[in-house]
Amino acid sequence: MEILNVTGLHASYSSSGPEILKGIDFAVEDDDFFAIIGPSGAGKSTLIRCINRLVEPSKGTILFDGREVTRLPRRELRRLRRDIGVIFQEFNLIDRMSVMDNVLSGRLGYIGNFRTLFRAFPRSDIDQGLRLLDRVGLIDHVDKRADELSGGQRQRVGIARALMQNPKMLLLDEPTSALDPKISREIMGLVKQMATELNVPCLCNIHDVQLATEFCNKIIGLQDGYMMFNGPTEEMDEAKLNEIYAMEVL
Amino acid sequence: MSNQPSRIAGDVPIRWSRYKFPDTFLRYGAWLCVFVFLVYCVEYLNIPLDRLLGVFGRMGDIVANRYYPPDMEYIMDREYLDYVVETIQMAYLGALFGIGLTLPLGWFAAYNMTPSRRFIYPLARLITMSCRAVHEMIWAILFVSILGYGMLAGVLALTLFCTGFAGKLLAEEIEAIDMGPVEAMRSTGANLFQTMIFGVFPQIRVAFTGIAIYTWDVAFRAATVVGFFGAGGMGWYLKRNVLQIETERVAAILISILILVMISETVSAWARGKAMKMQ
Amino acid sequence: MTSDIILERRRKSRNVRLCVYLALTLLVAWSVQVTIIDDTDWERMGSLANVLEGANRFIGIDFSLFKDLVEPTIETFMIACLGTLLGVIICIPAAWFGAMNITPFKPITYPLARMMMTISRSIHEIVWALFFVAVVGLGALPGIFAIAVRSVGFIAKMSAEAIEDIDPGPVEAIRSVGGNNLQVLIYAILPQILPQVLGVIIFEWEINIRRSAILGLVGAGGLGLVFFRQMNTFNYHGVMTVIIAILGLILLGEAFSHWVRRKII
Repeated sequence: MEILNVTGLHASYSSSGPEILKGIDFAVEDDDFFAIIGPSGAGKSTLIRCINRLVEPSKGTILFDGREVTRLPRRELRRLRRDIGVIFQEFNLIDRMSVMDNVLSGRLGYIGNFRTLFRAFPRSDIDQGLRLLDRVGLIDHVDKRADELSGGQRQRVGIARALMQNPKMLLLDEPTSALDPKISREIMGLVKQMATELNVPCLCNIHDVQLATEFCNKIIGLQDGYMMFNGPTEEMDEAKLNEIYAMEVL
Repeated sequence: MSNQPSRIAGDVPIRWSRYKFPDTFLRYGAWLCVFVFLVYCVEYLNIPLDRLLGVFGRMGDIVANRYYPPDMEYIMDREYLDYVVETIQMAYLGALFGIGLTLPLGWFAAYNMTPSRRFIYPLARLITMSCRAVHEMIWAILFVSILGYGMLAGVLALTLFCTGFAGKLLAEEIEAIDMGPVEAMRSTGANLFQTMIFGVFPQIRVAFTGIAIYTWDVAFRAATVVGFFGAGGMGWYLKRNVLQIETERVAAILISILILVMISETVSAWARGKAMKMQ
Repeated sequence: MTSDIILERRRKSRNVRLCVYLALTLLVAWSVQVTIIDDTDWERMGSLANVLEGANRFIGIDFSLFKDLVEPTIETFMIACLGTLLGVIICIPAAWFGAMNITPFKPITYPLARMMMTISRSIHEIVWALFFVAVVGLGALPGIFAIAVRSVGFIAKMSAEAIEDIDPGPVEAIRSVGGNNLQVLIYAILPQILPQVLGVIIFEWEINIRRSAILGLVGAGGLGLVFFRQMNTFNYHGVMTVIIAILGLILLGEAFSHWVRRKII
C-alpha cells in the first residue's frame, strides 16, 4: 500500500531564488526502504524537507497517508509531523538536556503546553522511551547529557526520538554523513532492523551509494533538481549511476 | 488506509524517575529560597502590590499632563547650548584621560604581563576595582566638595570612573592574548616595555579600540548628569529645574539628553564599524 | 623605482597622520582651557596644600553611624534584587521582539524592541530615578523601577543576540516532531541561551548594586539618602563610612556572583 505519493514537486528556498527541485514524481510503499541519491546540490535535502514542509514546495502535490500535505493548515500540519519521524545528519539533539529528555521530546506533539512546562510526560511515554533506549543500546546512558555522547551514540538517540513518535514513516537526511564508515554501517543496519520490526517505511537521503544499494530496496536518483532514475535497487547499474553523477565527474 | 506501525514490545528495562535525591531536592530548594527571599524583600520594603497597577495609571497621567508639552524653547537658548558643548568636552576629556591612565594600569593589572606579580599586580587590581566600585556620581560629589563647583571636578570624576572601568576590560583582554609572540620577543632580549609594544599591543589593538569607544559611550552618558551634583555640564540645568518643579523644562532637558546620547551612540557605532573594517 | 614610491607614500601618510595628531592635540588643549582652566575658581581652591587638606577631611570613620547603616544597606541590596528581577521580566518580551529570527512581526516589533533597548541604555539611572520619584513618590519603589528600566537595555540586547546566534538544528528537530511555538521555545531555544543569559543577568545584578547605592541621592531609597544627609551636615567621616559600607556591599555582591557563576556555568 502506498504511504507517500509525490507528483510534480517543485521547490526553491526563496521566492526569488533558483528552483532547487524541478518536477519530482515518485511513490513510497509502506514496506519500502527508499533511497534518494545524487551529487551534492541535487536537491536531496530539499526533497526530504518538503515532505514534512520544513521547506515549502512551490508547486506539486504530496499525498501522505491520504492527506494532502501542501494544503494543510498549521494545526493539521503539526499533527501530520507527529506521524513522520525525522533523523538528521547533524543529529539535532538538545545538547544540554539528558538522553532521556531528548528521546521524550519525540512525544511533544502529543502533550499540551502545561505538561510541556513541567516536562510531565505520561508514564506510557516514559516506558516506551526506556524500551527504545534499551533497543538502541543506550540504556546505560539514560541520564547523561546529550553532548557527552559520541557521534554514533547521538544518532542512536536520534533514532530513538524519531521512533518515539510511533511514526507512519521515517525521513532520514544523510543520517551517516557525520559518522565514520564503520559506525555508518552500524547505524544504517540498526535503522533497517528497527524499521522492519516496527513496520515503518523509510525515505532516506544518502550520500554513499554503496550504503544505499546495500540497505535500500528502491532508489531515486536526483541530478540538478531533476529525477534521473526511479526504480528498484536491482535495476541500478554503472551506466545509470554515471548518468546521475555526471556533473561530479566533470 | 495504511499498515499501522507497531509499538515496541518488551519489559521496561529499568526504573527511571525524573526526580533524583538529593540533586532535585537541592536545586528546587535553592530556587525556593530565592523566591522566599524576593517575597520577603517586597514585604520589607512595604511595596503596595495592590496599588501597583494604579501607579502605572498615575504615571501616564502625570507624563501626559505635567511633562507634556516639553518646553523646547528652553533648550534652544544660547547659554544652555554652551553648557551642552561643555558637557561634550568634559565627556571626552574624561574618557581621554581615563584611557590614558588605563594603558599603564590595565597592563599592571594583567596577571601575565604585569612587572611584579607580588606588589604591582595586586595594587593595580585594587586601584581599578576601587575606581570601578565607587559610582561616578560619588566621585563627582567628592571632587566637588574638595575642589569646588565646576568642570574640573567633573573631568576628574569621569577620569577615575573610566580608568576603573576600562582598566578591568583592558586587563582581561591582555590576559587573553596568545603568549607566543610575547615569548618570541622575550627571547630576542627585549625588555618588558618593548615586549608590551611589539608583542602584546598588536594583538589587543582591535579590542582596545572597542574598549575606547565603549568608554566614550559610558563617559558621555555620565557627563550629562554629573552637573546635577555641581560638577559642570548640562546636569546643572536639570537640577535647577527639578528643584523649581518646572516639569515641562525638565522634559525638554531630558529630551536633549536623549538626543545627544543617541547622536553619540550613532557616532560610536560608525567608529566601531570603521575599526572593524580596518582590522 | 618601486621603493621610491613606497617611501614617498609613507612620508605622505606620515605627514597626514602628524597633522591629524596636531589637530587633535589642539582640540584637547582648547577643551582643557575652556572646561578646566576657565571654569575653575582657582582662588577659592587655594594651593595644593589646601586641596590636600580638603581631601584629608574625609579620611576617618564615624563609628556611631554603624547601627544606622544596617537598614539602608539591606534596602539598597533589596532594591538591586527586585529591580533586576523586574528588569528580567520586562526583558522577556523585549528580547523576543528584539531577536530577528523569532520576532513576530519584523517591520514593527523588531525596531520597537531595539528602540526600547537604546532608550533604556541611553538614559542615566539618576535621570530614571528622578523621573520615577516625581511620578511615584519617594522611597524604594521608584528606585526599583529605575533599576529595572535601566537594566532592560543590556539584558535584552545580550539575550536577543544570544537568540540570534542559536543553532537552528534543534529548532528544526522540535518542529519536525510536531511541536508548537512554545515547545520550540522551551526545548530548542531556551537550553541554548540559558548559560549566557544567566551570566548576563548576574553581571547586571552586580552593577545594579552599585547603582542602587546612589539612587538615594535623589530620593529613591537606600544608602544614597544616608550619604546625602552626611554630606549636608558636613560630617565627612560619616561620608567616608557610608562609602565604605557601599564598597563592602559591592564586594559581597562580587563574591556571591563569583560563587554562583561557578555553580551554574
